[in-house]
Amino acid sequence: MEKEVVILGVGVTKFGRVTGRSLTDMAREAGRMALKDAGVDYRDIQIGFCSHCNQPLGTGMECFAQLGMTGIPVTNVEVACASQTRGVVLAADLIAAGAYDMALVIGVEKMPRGMVPTGDINEMPYMFRVGIMPMPGIYAMQCQRHMYQYGTKPEHFAKAAEKTHRNGSLNPNATYQDVFTLEQIMGSRMIADPITMLMCSANGDGATATVICSREKARKYTNKPVRLVGWAAGNPAYSEHESSALAEGPTEALGRKVYEMSGIGPRDVNVVQLHDAFSPAEIFTIEELGLCPEGEGGPFVWEGNTEIDGRLPVNTDGGLVSCGHPIGATGGRMIAELSWQLRGTAGKRQVPGNPTAALLQNQGIGGANVMMFAM
Amino acid sequence: MATDEVKKKVPIVEGLYKLPQNGGEGYLIGSRCNACGVYFHPKRVICAKCFSEDQREVSLSRRGKIYTYTIARVSYPGTPVVAPFVAASVALPENIQVISLITDIDLNNVKIDTEVELHFWKTGEDSAGNDVMAYAFRPVST
Repeated sequence: MEKEVVILGVGVTKFGRVTGRSLTDMAREAGRMALKDAGVDYRDIQIGFCSHCNQPLGTGMECFAQLGMTGIPVTNVEVACASQTRGVVLAADLIAAGAYDMALVIGVEKMPRGMVPTGDINEMPYMFRVGIMPMPGIYAMQCQRHMYQYGTKPEHFAKAAEKTHRNGSLNPNATYQDVFTLEQIMGSRMIADPITMLMCSANGDGATATVICSREKARKYTNKPVRLVGWAAGNPAYSEHESSALAEGPTEALGRKVYEMSGIGPRDVNVVQLHDAFSPAEIFTIEELGLCPEGEGGPFVWEGNTEIDGRLPVNTDGGLVSCGHPIGATGGRMIAELSWQLRGTAGKRQVPGNPTAALLQNQGIGGANVMMFAM
Repeated sequence: MATDEVKKKVPIVEGLYKLPQNGGEGYLIGSRCNACGVYFHPKRVICAKCFSEDQREVSLSRRGKIYTYTIARVSYPGTPVVAPFVAASVALPENIQVISLITDIDLNNVKIDTEVELHFWKTGEDSAGNDVMAYAFRPVST
């Protein structure tokens, strides 16, 4: 019989370029926050995962060693932008199977300046060698197709960024702290039509941490935990569909699995965190998750439905666009914000009406993870 | 009589395309699964649909249509393509899509479904003085 899993503690550092802050400093800070939030000691952690993308060999060991050296297995996890939530998925699988009771997942990243590198240029795929497909090229192509097929407008994509930046201004941890008008967003530097600079996530460093626990053992610490009631992970699957080359992960299929596993359907979701590396992703992803009808994401966002006080609040803390995207840490920020929302402790960003069901979608080059949380 | 050294043309990446030679036109290299009939580019050893190892290397169609595109305004450092440029996903008759540079096109007038054809262009020279070639598609002249 599978054990129930809860999120016992979360921690998020400030994202962005903060001088004098090493990789291990950030990891320790996030780890301590999550342990304290959970009310547990590092001694209670039985297994660890460390997610990061640009850091050297041995990073997991170095980061966890900051908290203690208890000899537990710590494994590094990399699925590009979906690394931290993949670590949480692995931990959840193990806890559900009864192999462990309590796990810690730390996500940490020190980002190089400029466009996201993917290694030695001579080893890179053709489109990177020639220089025709840096990010946000794929997203921009998806935008153009979406505009062609459904009549979505560039201002719809920009509206998502406007809303998300405004949410970020309420989050002291976000890299961007400013509010921008729609005109400022659309008028910022064009990167790849129709995606402008202010529709892209900021570069920056950061760390996050999540304590995952069996519900049984969590009773020692809290009566009202945030429950992880559904989760699914996957890599891009073969599809004969014409546009499958443009997908990063099987979000739609994972969403269906999670709705079934949790018994909570799209209509019952109160708050969402999704992977807005570029703001148009908000429009594509709410459609892929069945949260709004196919093709209607543009008007749905334009009409304000994804605002904090809207029908379906999305990225209430500023998402990737405003918080920034320390790649290996991003998933943990999503989990933290949804936990605070369900606990009712999100302060100025709190979704009204006592949200009880929260959905997360985190994707990267190499895979996606979807999770449902309930209170 | 002195023989001139003939400059060679080499692809920027091996195994993805064959450059024009001996009067031939050059093509993208793909594979076709002999078991289930689907095509892939880049070519595969094991079919992603049916797992068969019976794959045949093929030359893909030289013509396709723009499925979607973007106009990139920022160049990627250390690469030969200079912004602004058009990058597109080109749909080939083999029911696959290939990401490609689109040349010889008005940036203000790029349209989905435009018919395009394959060609090759020189990105630079290597240390041995060979021409390093990449592929691109350009609108079919009507």
